[in-house]
Amino acid sequence: MSDHQDPSANSAQSPAASRRRVLQLGAIGAATVISVRPALAQTAVSVMTCEIPVPDPSRASQYVAADGSLVAPGTPGAVPGAAMPFKGEDVRNVMTHGGRLPGTTAEQNEAYVNYIRRLRSGTGGFTCFASIQMPR
Amino acid sequence: MPDAAPDPVYHAPPAATLLRTPLDLLDAIYDRRSGLTHLVGEPVPAILDALAAGPASAADLMQRLADDYAIEGELAALRARLAELAALGLVDARAL
Amino acid sequence: MRHGLTLKIGPAAFRVGSDWRAPIADLRTLYADYPPAPDGFADFTVRLEAKRPWRRFVRPSVHLGGDYMLPDALPLSLAHGLLAAEMGMNLQMALGWRRHLLIHASAVEKDGRALILTGESGSGKSTLAAMLGERGWRLLGDEFTLLDLDSDSVRGFPRLVSLKNAGIAAVEAVADAARFGPRLEATPKGAIRHLVPRADAIARMDEPAAPALLLYPRYGFDAATRRLAKSENFMRLTQASTNYVALGERGFGTLSRFVESVPALALDYSDGEAGIAEVERLWTEHVG
Repeated sequence: MSDHQDPSANSAQSPAASRRRVLQLGAIGAATVISVRPALAQTAVSVMTCEIPVPDPSRASQYVAADGSLVAPGTPGAVPGAAMPFKGEDVRNVMTHGGRLPGTTAEQNEAYVNYIRRLRSGTGGFTCFASIQMPR
Repeated sequence: MPDAAPDPVYHAPPAATLLRTPLDLLDAIYDRRSGLTHLVGEPVPAILDALAAGPASAADLMQRLADDYAIEGELAALRARLAELAALGLVDARAL
Repeated sequence: MRHGLTLKIGPAAFRVGSDWRAPIADLRTLYADYPPAPDGFADFTVRLEAKRPWRRFVRPSVHLGGDYMLPDALPLSLAHGLLAAEMGMNLQMALGWRRHLLIHASAVEKDGRALILTGESGSGKSTLAAMLGERGWRLLGDEFTLLDLDSDSVRGFPRLVSLKNAGIAAVEAVADAARFGPRLEATPKGAIRHLVPRADAIARMDEPAAPALLLYPRYGFDAATRRLAKSENFMRLTQASTNYVALGERGFGTLSRFVESVPALALDYSDGEAGIAEVERLWTEHVG
């Protein structure tokens, strides 16, 4: 319905406008981005069981909010960090199939999973997270 | 009647944050901030180019794209694309 | 570790230590023509260990260790100690090498240009590379192809070629018996036999080559060849590389240039000889 709006500012350029390239916006539910997931390829003997600490040991005293960000201890709605790091395999299973990280409540699981999703290069556990192969 | 929440304004990342290699139907993009690589299809390259000119809401971006392209698709589809890009960190969604 | 040796293959040097003599003896025999680590300095250490001292003798079971390891790795029997050593070296490269972009692929060289064969286990890439190595091509490597991050050239990494199942007989028919390791039965990947690269491949291991053609072979399918789109090739190569993500921006640049400049084709074949003939034909057609 909006395709044929013709702003008067462009009317002087209409010959060019009629030769514009088509741009398809795609279906609403479609994904137009495929993100590369790292692979250990075929040389691995078995699934890597690297570990992801939540949070990074350098910030172990902070709490984890539901959206995965780190906040001051005692912040309402936030949970303390996990006592033990999580195995890469466990994280992969939860992210692929759902369910909860071992030993977590629903609240903790949501916070920890979101924390892991937000890991950036340089943070403890990022390499492990990046190396978990997660099929789309 | 309360107003609906204002539309987010989308910002392209700072210049040179994204490295792009056009391939064929897809571009390969490396995001220096996340270290992630993405393969992106139409209309993502056009969206990123259009946002490089300055931040825009979805509606403003639709106008900007319409200057250069004959657009096929509704504003809702553009919003979906922008949400997808924001979720991956390829654009930033802000209140202003 | 009671037994050990060092080895240099291409740009990487390994120290392999073992609680048992036999795997080291096998390595010493098969890698006899390779240089030792320069000044004894190794990039990686691989360890073949018994879990408990008495397990060196009672139901000996080889546990793989090293600078980089997968803690869940299944132990192997002592009869497969050579395989454990080779897998250990593979793991060190796959997990720890950062000086090149690594592709899970074999590669051979002719006239300074490289033909790269990538694919899953069972695709036939090792057998094809070994066969080409016996027909005038120089073997650059079997398990890993190393791409220089700046010059984009292929660096040689000619370890023992790991032949499996049907591939073993095919190469036994054309290569000197003295160049084979023991035949290992009932490994996790079936029967395996290692082939030592030819003398000139070892002697020239530090000579790079310019990548010219990439093939995705698939053994056991009706003969068919098709060109891959660059985007498909790019995506598949990120999955065939163990260190693409870790290399970040440099990996992206190297892979982008590789995909832009090296044609990629998928090659299905059901007959070894026909497969080789098609590979040679594609080389002539695309590289000249």
